[in-house]
Amino acid sequence: MSHSHEQHGHGDHPEHLGHHWDNVQQQFEASKLGMWLFLATEVLLFGGLFVAYAVWRGNNPELYAYGSEYLDVTMGAINTTILILSSLTMAMAVTYAQLNRQTALLVCLILTFLGACGFMIVKYFEYADKIQEGILPGAAFYEPPANLEASKYWNPDLPIIDRETLLALRIQEAEREREGRPAQIDRPRFGEVSSVAPAAVGPAGFDPDAVRARHVRGEKSNVHPLQDPNRPINAHMFFNIYFMMTGLHGIHVLVGMIVIGWLIYRAALGHFGSDYFTPVDLGGLYWHIVDLIWIFLFPLFYLI
Amino acid sequence: MSTLSTHPSGTNYLNHTRGIMSWIFTLDHKRIGMMYLFSVLLSFFAGGMLAVLIRLQLWTPEASLFTQDQYNQIFTLHGAIMVFLVIIPSIPAALGNFVLPIMLGAKDVAFPRLNLFSYHLWVFGALVFLLALFTGGLDTGWTFYTPYSTDTDSAMGGVIPALTAVFILGFSSIFTGMNFIVTIHRLRPPGMTWFRMPLFLWAIYATAIIQVLATPVLGITLMLLAVERAFGIGIFDPALGGDPVLYQHFFWFYSHPAVYIMILPAMGIISELISVHSHKHIFGYKFIAFSSIAIAIFGFLVWGHHMFTSGQSALMNVIFSAITFSVSIPSAIKVFNWLATMYKGSISLNTPMLYALSFIFIFSIGGLTGLHLGTLATDIHLHDTYFVVAHFHYVMMGSALLAMIGGMHHWWPKMTGKMYNEFWGRIGCGLVFLGFNLTFFPQFMLGSQGMPRRYAQYDDYLPETVQLFEFYHQLSTIGSLVMAVGFFLTAGYLLHSIFFGKRAPANPWGGRSLEWQCASPPPHDNFAETPTVGDCYDFSVLEWNEQEQGYTWREDVPRPGEERTA
Amino acid sequence: MTMLMNLLYQTPFLATAAPRRGFWMPEQASTVSGEIDSIFMAITWISIFFFVLIVILMGYFMVKYRRVENHKTTSSVTHNTPLELTWTIIPLIIVIVIFYMGMTGYISLRSVPVDAYEIDVTAQKWGWTFEHPGGAIETETLTIPKGRPVRLTMASQDVIHSLFIPAFRVKQDVVPGRYTYLWFEASETGRYDLFCTEYCGTGHATMGAVVEVYEEDEFKQKIDELLRWIEDIEDDRLFVAGKRLYNRCVQCHSLDGSPGIGPSFRETHELWGEQRRLADGRTVTVDENYVKESIIYPAQDITEGYGNLMPSFRGQLRERELRALVQFIRHLDRFDDEGNLLEEWQ
Repeated sequence: MSHSHEQHGHGDHPEHLGHHWDNVQQQFEASKLGMWLFLATEVLLFGGLFVAYAVWRGNNPELYAYGSEYLDVTMGAINTTILILSSLTMAMAVTYAQLNRQTALLVCLILTFLGACGFMIVKYFEYADKIQEGILPGAAFYEPPANLEASKYWNPDLPIIDRETLLALRIQEAEREREGRPAQIDRPRFGEVSSVAPAAVGPAGFDPDAVRARHVRGEKSNVHPLQDPNRPINAHMFFNIYFMMTGLHGIHVLVGMIVIGWLIYRAALGHFGSDYFTPVDLGGLYWHIVDLIWIFLFPLFYLI
Repeated sequence: MSTLSTHPSGTNYLNHTRGIMSWIFTLDHKRIGMMYLFSVLLSFFAGGMLAVLIRLQLWTPEASLFTQDQYNQIFTLHGAIMVFLVIIPSIPAALGNFVLPIMLGAKDVAFPRLNLFSYHLWVFGALVFLLALFTGGLDTGWTFYTPYSTDTDSAMGGVIPALTAVFILGFSSIFTGMNFIVTIHRLRPPGMTWFRMPLFLWAIYATAIIQVLATPVLGITLMLLAVERAFGIGIFDPALGGDPVLYQHFFWFYSHPAVYIMILPAMGIISELISVHSHKHIFGYKFIAFSSIAIAIFGFLVWGHHMFTSGQSALMNVIFSAITFSVSIPSAIKVFNWLATMYKGSISLNTPMLYALSFIFIFSIGGLTGLHLGTLATDIHLHDTYFVVAHFHYVMMGSALLAMIGGMHHWWPKMTGKMYNEFWGRIGCGLVFLGFNLTFFPQFMLGSQGMPRRYAQYDDYLPETVQLFEFYHQLSTIGSLVMAVGFFLTAGYLLHSIFFGKRAPANPWGGRSLEWQCASPPPHDNFAETPTVGDCYDFSVLEWNEQEQGYTWREDVPRPGEERTA
Repeated sequence: MTMLMNLLYQTPFLATAAPRRGFWMPEQASTVSGEIDSIFMAITWISIFFFVLIVILMGYFMVKYRRVENHKTTSSVTHNTPLELTWTIIPLIIVIVIFYMGMTGYISLRSVPVDAYEIDVTAQKWGWTFEHPGGAIETETLTIPKGRPVRLTMASQDVIHSLFIPAFRVKQDVVPGRYTYLWFEASETGRYDLFCTEYCGTGHATMGAVVEVYEEDEFKQKIDELLRWIEDIEDDRLFVAGKRLYNRCVQCHSLDGSPGIGPSFRETHELWGEQRRLADGRTVTVDENYVKESIIYPAQDITEGYGNLMPSFRGQLRERELRALVQFIRHLDRFDDEGNLLEEWQ
């Protein structure tokens, strides 16, 4: 696919300069603008999930308070540190490329790559732990863990509290609380009870205040959520958004590893130097956004 | 007219390399644009045939041509094909790709490889979409509303392939948008300041901003939907604590701006067409340019007006209604400015201009009926009826697609180097215009009288209602057939012109923007030297040249580059 | 303003006097429809004014400035800011007025009078269930009184539906997992269409009902009949009542043996007392118990070859109605394939 080059072999053009550009500077600036636009789309891609997070958290804050106790803050903190350090080495790589220091460039890129690997390894342990415990998104959350012996939360002496039981418990409690108070909705009607089933689930159907008040922050959970009578309704929702967001971020880290691997390959061949470092610069920008997104994810899921 | 019009070797972009592979893997924006054009028109044919089937089904109230399930698939496919495969890529990706770099005096777009990649993505997306048909079909409507689409018992099996396809098509659209923004920022020639750009470029620029900023949100929405359908994790499922209306917010946050992805470039084309074919300076350049940007910005803030009956809070409805009206102002400005451009012009009533005039007629109806729908009290009655169907066909089909076809006629001599038959062009435009109005105007009454959308039949209701609906449906069906004849005629004479048409001059219409300064069809790298630019709407420097059968630069006026030295 | 709008509405070309159907809008049968129509017609007239203005100008320019020779030079005016501001600001003022009219109209659509008559509505694929205070249930019709505000409290059992009564100018989506509401006050007696306007799958186009508006006395009588009718039928002829209830099953279950979305009742009838194969490989005896269970807990025993598509009718049928349906299937040999009672049983 290089016929354009063959046809227009302008002698003064460096090899990496496209035929439609006037000079290297113009091409570099255009590439950089393109990369920033791409990063904007990445921000909006994650933006959708951040908005979903905000909406759900606004509607069901108790789920987030509850669910985050099953995440390992230490592992999250290690991963945060790893990513910040790898961003540093990436930034150094760009500088070394600009300074034409080939060996330092290569070392920094390899360090960045190792950082990415480290992040994925820690992520692997976190995910493996969740899968083993059966703490999963959606309906799978309500299946007991496959290997009961290996689970550190599971207590064979406790019963499973399924959604129906939990719902009944909550309704009982809510009714007990409501006793003595005047009915909130007092519309004139001369019939029996409505045939429409009460919407006990869903955004309009349940009063979360009671659950929120009951749940005390800061006590490290040692009960399996499926056996926990204090579990809020729809506790799986937290893990939906947790897996969606960290999963999508994980995919971006994997893509980042491919990009950095390719940069290492080209740097080893000596393609980059002070006159041409666009790919290192753009790869760096991408890696920083991946890092930046994690810096938001860590407190949103692990800390608050 | 010699320095810029011909390439030293005498070849042009069509014949400078040969063989199918030289097209499929070309990096030339013109060839990519032509491939887009061909693919989009092919999809338009498919979507159009489905539309005719829809109309035939509704000829009688019992509607026995197809079963309900078949009909539901047909309207879903019609909608999805027309939106994702036809209208969104039509003007930016097909015409924009061809014209934009030449208008800028550039040799290509900023990232030719990315450009080719987005076309390949488009083709791949279209193929994946076909897969949906073979994996159980698709009957969700193009909007994929939850919980219908995520309920595996309700919706047919093709939902996930269709979502994947739209996701891929979305990225094709994002990459095109990115490419155009960077091209406009970085590849303008010396002398072309922002306010010297042709208005088509302003429109494409505003469109590209929407493509880049809105489409990723569609991407993530479709991903959530696919995960929900595949694993039932309950994001949009009320039984698992999810919220089906949240999906509508997500979806319209993209899909409302997407409406402007469709109409903004159309408005850009009309600005060019009206000015060139009236041979008069565009009136109120800055108002038109800024109104494009205003539409792009306001377009992001009005998505909630698709959801006035969804059960969202009354306060939100009021706010969204208020912002919605703000979008109507920039559109009104454009229409009045176009009229003022025609005032005291020298109006050539050729095919592109007739399409432009049809656009003003149809877009006025489409825009004004938008007032009924933006108004809360009346929208409650009109929502999800044929009134809405008529409204958005007036805007998306009658305006956006007819502008695209007008633009295609305008640039046809440039793209193919051939002139089409003007007489049949006018007849074709007339048929399409009449057929279009006959198809969709009755749908306004149909809708305000209460006929809901997406009904496979309408015999189940009170006799008086059925009778009235039948009358309007039959008018509409007749109109659709007239329109189909018009489109086939158009396809016929355009194909004919490729093989038997007269050779086109460099500048058949008297356009001043840079694409009219290079030969028809343009050489492979457009301009041997970067051209210098003047006011692209000042037509006083051109004169009709009988020998060329086109316009050439006046002998007594110096060219912009020569001005300084002279 | 209102007077002006009413005047506009009365124009012969576009409207006939209420309550008959106008050119644009259907008959005005609720208290809000007059107001909504006035707003609609006001916007329509504004639109017609601007449209005619644009088209006349366009047509005039087309003719007047038509190109006759190719050498004509044209005016070089490029802009005129005061003029452009004029056509920015005038439309702005007009749309602000339109927005305000729409908002006030909408507020009256959403403000339910306190003494409204309350009806519970359940939507499911592909039909409506209306339950009156007192327990009267209807499906094919919605019977309401004239001159009394009615509030519908709506919930969906499956996907999103939307309840639309054009003659009342009201519409509201019915969303699973939450309640939505709608109110109106019928101002004319008569029969009006009710549509589902949110696409809900195969039977969307037939998911309708008829709204019947009666004067207060007659309305009370109708509701009484609704409550009583099944009690009036003798126990040994309950299958006739079952035929009437079959209206709610006809969308999915045929009587002629052809499989629909669910198995045909004819087939179920022919298997009476015998074993039916289920989708999960079990078999079940077709008897009173099985039929009743299948209506209340449809997901429990899915017949082989069919999907889990039937919504539960728990709480929607009274005991006697359930019995009537069971008797209907059991004695289906007393009906022909169209569901007509055979002569010897009339």
